[in-house]
Amino acid sequence: MKKNSLKFVFITSVALVIIFAAILFLRKPAKAEKSERKENLNEIVLYHQDKFDPGPGSSSSVIKEAKAMPVYGHWQNFTTKDGLPSDKAYAVKIDDDRVWAGTHDGLALYENGKWRTYTSEDGLAHNGVVSIDVSETTGDVWVGTLGGLSRFSEGKFETFNQFNSGLPNDLVYNVCCYGKDVWVATGGGAGRYNTETKQWEIFTELNAPMHEPWTYALSGGEGKVWIAAWGGGVIEYNNQTKKFRDYTDPDGFMEIDLMPDDGPVHDITTATYYANGIIWVSSYFGLSRYDGKNWNGYFDHDSGLASNFINNLKAKGPIVYVCSDKGFSTFNGETWVTYKKNENDENGKAIITNGKEVKEVAQTPSISHNFIIGADADDDVVWVATSKGVSRGEVLR
Amino acid sequence: MGRFVKIIIPAAILVILGVVIHKPYHRWAREHVNNLTATTDHPLKCASCHLYIQKSGIISKIVNAKYYSPFNLAVSPDGNYLYVIAEEGNALLVVNTERNRVIKEIEVGVHPHSVVLSRDGKTAYVSNQWSDNVSVIDLEKYVVTDTFGTGGGPAGLALGADGNSLYSANSFSSDLSIIDLTSGAERKRLFTGNNPTGVEISPEGNTVMVTSRRTLGLPYGDSLKCELTVVNDKRQRIAERMDIKQAYMMENIAFTPSGDLAIIPLIRPKNNVPTIQIERGWMMTNGIAIVEQKPGGRTIQLLLDEPNAYYADPFDIAITPDGKKAFVSHAGVDLISVIDLDALRKLISESDERMLAAYSNYLGTSSKIVLKRISTGANPKGMALSPDGKKLYVAEHLDDRIAIISTESLETIGKIPLGGPARITVARQGRRLLNNAGHTFQSQYSCYTCHPDTHEDGLVYNMASKDMGRNMTNTQSLRNIGDTPPYKWNGKNQSIYKQDGMRFSTVLTRNEAFSYKELDAISAYIMSGVPNPPNLLYNPKGELTEAQKRGKEIFERTHDNKGFEIPVINRCVTCHPAPYFTNKKMADVGTLAASDDSILFDTPHLNNIIFSPPYLHDGRAATLEEIWTIYGKTEQHGALNDLNKIELNELVEYLKSLRDEKYEPKVSKTLSASFRHKQ
Repeated sequence: MKKNSLKFVFITSVALVIIFAAILFLRKPAKAEKSERKENLNEIVLYHQDKFDPGPGSSSSVIKEAKAMPVYGHWQNFTTKDGLPSDKAYAVKIDDDRVWAGTHDGLALYENGKWRTYTSEDGLAHNGVVSIDVSETTGDVWVGTLGGLSRFSEGKFETFNQFNSGLPNDLVYNVCCYGKDVWVATGGGAGRYNTETKQWEIFTELNAPMHEPWTYALSGGEGKVWIAAWGGGVIEYNNQTKKFRDYTDPDGFMEIDLMPDDGPVHDITTATYYANGIIWVSSYFGLSRYDGKNWNGYFDHDSGLASNFINNLKAKGPIVYVCSDKGFSTFNGETWVTYKKNENDENGKAIITNGKEVKEVAQTPSISHNFIIGADADDDVVWVATSKGVSRGEVLR
Repeated sequence: MGRFVKIIIPAAILVILGVVIHKPYHRWAREHVNNLTATTDHPLKCASCHLYIQKSGIISKIVNAKYYSPFNLAVSPDGNYLYVIAEEGNALLVVNTERNRVIKEIEVGVHPHSVVLSRDGKTAYVSNQWSDNVSVIDLEKYVVTDTFGTGGGPAGLALGADGNSLYSANSFSSDLSIIDLTSGAERKRLFTGNNPTGVEISPEGNTVMVTSRRTLGLPYGDSLKCELTVVNDKRQRIAERMDIKQAYMMENIAFTPSGDLAIIPLIRPKNNVPTIQIERGWMMTNGIAIVEQKPGGRTIQLLLDEPNAYYADPFDIAITPDGKKAFVSHAGVDLISVIDLDALRKLISESDERMLAAYSNYLGTSSKIVLKRISTGANPKGMALSPDGKKLYVAEHLDDRIAIISTESLETIGKIPLGGPARITVARQGRRLLNNAGHTFQSQYSCYTCHPDTHEDGLVYNMASKDMGRNMTNTQSLRNIGDTPPYKWNGKNQSIYKQDGMRFSTVLTRNEAFSYKELDAISAYIMSGVPNPPNLLYNPKGELTEAQKRGKEIFERTHDNKGFEIPVINRCVTCHPAPYFTNKKMADVGTLAASDDSILFDTPHLNNIIFSPPYLHDGRAATLEEIWTIYGKTEQHGALNDLNKIELNELVEYLKSLRDEKYEPKVSKTLSASFRHKQ
């Protein structure tokens, strides 16, 4: 009995030590969860075992890589209830301490916590505002609309349309200020307006390697401008030599990317953006990245991309902000963070993907809608234009 | 006897011949003059026309003269020197104010406009309006040390508060260059109102204000408004765009020393009132805008006119250092108005919004604020005060003199001749007449008012004919029109004599017509050639861009894009041949409005056409593009409907490049000739 008692006490003691140790061990994550709740993260960690790569991509490497990527949260959503002219937002642009939003019913300005709307009654070319850019040198705001191009400066609009100016076409899908030039991607070709000489130049399939006159987006850098041309891939224009170079998909119009990484994933491009030496190209069939030597294609089935159907994109430094029909993705070439809203409530999640390892972070609230058309980011803030207003997210520290 | 016969007989023959042909010759001469002048009693003086209207050659050099035409000026910090812009002399004149004489003439760019001095007074910056640059002048050595590029037509200049930035209001390209004075590089260019000329920094150095002369583009038929552009000097960004309503020709601006007010001379035209109504007064009024600088400050307009006396073409403003008096030069009536600023402050502080709105059209205000009108020489333009504020220097533009006015006694106490020709040529006399409102009812406006710089003011006027309220008329430029008769849009005037003769006084000035001598002088000035600026903005070197070359091909084409021959009458070049780009004939371009008399239109000349918006006879087209995109649905105004947008842009680019033949490089002609010779 004594022996048994001693044995019982010993086993019990060992068991208690183990349990105590286990409790201590398990309490640490609980503390972390509590502190992150303060950040409004509500973290629920779900490791997807089927995608788990036991190699270098262990759970610790996911977190390590994620640190190089900003994860946005504290989402603040703005709709007509908050003063936005329409819930259908097409574009958003950060302009120092104020933010411009292009909507279906006018141009909205967020300043000092309030929204103010400008419409065609104020001189705006058209109420359907689909693109916005701000000249870094002059501060002029250039607004691409479904009925022409407007220049806004301290309360006044000046309108350029296809009838009163050399603007190629009134459907101005994208506007881009680059040096003294304002570039536009329109339904009638790309246009360049020199703000000093007041001269317009038009580029279409008649004088540039385009397949159609429709152009959707453009971006400038290092003396070049890249044009996302419908059916023509990406057209590179050299400002100095005035020569074109086109980047097209060797697979042409095939919806399947037969040969991976051989060029843009498709010739029907929806946007392009140059930053940090990288050309990013979006299409309705996936995302492409070109570093000057190699092309890489990214798809929703083999990466963290929210959807292959990409409406628009923007890049800042090493990070690309991808606007798709099923959520908002950010990517720095290694790690993806994709933001999605739940279907039935205001909550959602941020999905961090590194290689085959995926981590989901619950977010309350989430971005306001999964159909995203525009985005812009500053150091610590991202703004997203969605089909249900605009969303503002902050970097979670 | 033989010698007698040799002299007498030829003389007799000549006398007989003279007697025989005198009558028919006189009759022919009479008819010739009657035809040109549309009168029957204009003196038959061949010289008045055939001598004084010569544009070039020996006769032109003999009858004309080169004047300085002082335009703007600055005073050195110690008050010992005046720096005078010689607009026609292309020079900066240095005047010693103790000896009242010019001591140095420094050559600058073409058609200089303004001068501003560095804070230490050792450097002058001169804007060269027709060279698109600024001359930097060392005032110790009197040499041009550098040249800074600007936008098109640099006019007014101002230094930034840091002393290292220069603002240049670019009158042709309608923008503001901000130049880094250390590097000479243009930091940025901000777009401004239309045709900016005046620029001034506030005393505390926070704000730069830029005035403009032409109205902003507005829907057809709207009343005009001009922009006052406000720039934050520190950020060098636009801070505000203020509309100064129903006013234009805001040439200059000055701040009070305390910085509480900015004051701008301006004109308030009633261009939609039939011009024949001028005899009822109040059609073209002249005054000032007062912009209160306090937060929420008002913008007020007050007239300087009186019920029966108008003070046309206010140009410059200078305010004494004590902030008590403001001087406004009225270039159209050769007068300076002296404004009591304390009375002005009292008036506006005691007036509510409703009263102030009424004052903007009230001719009784000036008696409350104007202390005196001081006579000057011809066409007073820029002014500058001595550092102690006791002397006001006035550039007598068409007298080649500087007037010195005591700001205490308000009397002219001296004149400084600049050394220009003593004689006044016929053309110079004509220029004075064109710039003077003395021939208009109550001196409401001069020719210059609607034709500033002998160009046009961008407005559409209701030129009432026999049927009141008809014929909306787009003002046309007077530059280089001597060789392009007929005149007026309806082409009814076959000469300048007729254009500016009796009908002119009946329809426009409603006053005594010009005498024949005056008419000869005006005709001599206009017909001897008032050049266009060189159009450096769109054709800087005389070499067309690739787009302009393609546009020229379209302009001169004989076949459309489908290969069909274009009827001669529908080709651009048929009606618009070089060098003036007019065939001087009447045409129907399908633009006759319901309110127009049934007429054809005179084909306008096209040199520098880009600087003459709006377009078409009634100004309905705001831009060149609109002539064809909106108002060219038929092919009456050129067969262009087959063009795509790229081609239309190229045609417009070519039209923008058109400029006076005199600017075309002679070298290229020589080379072209020698090339043909070798062939």
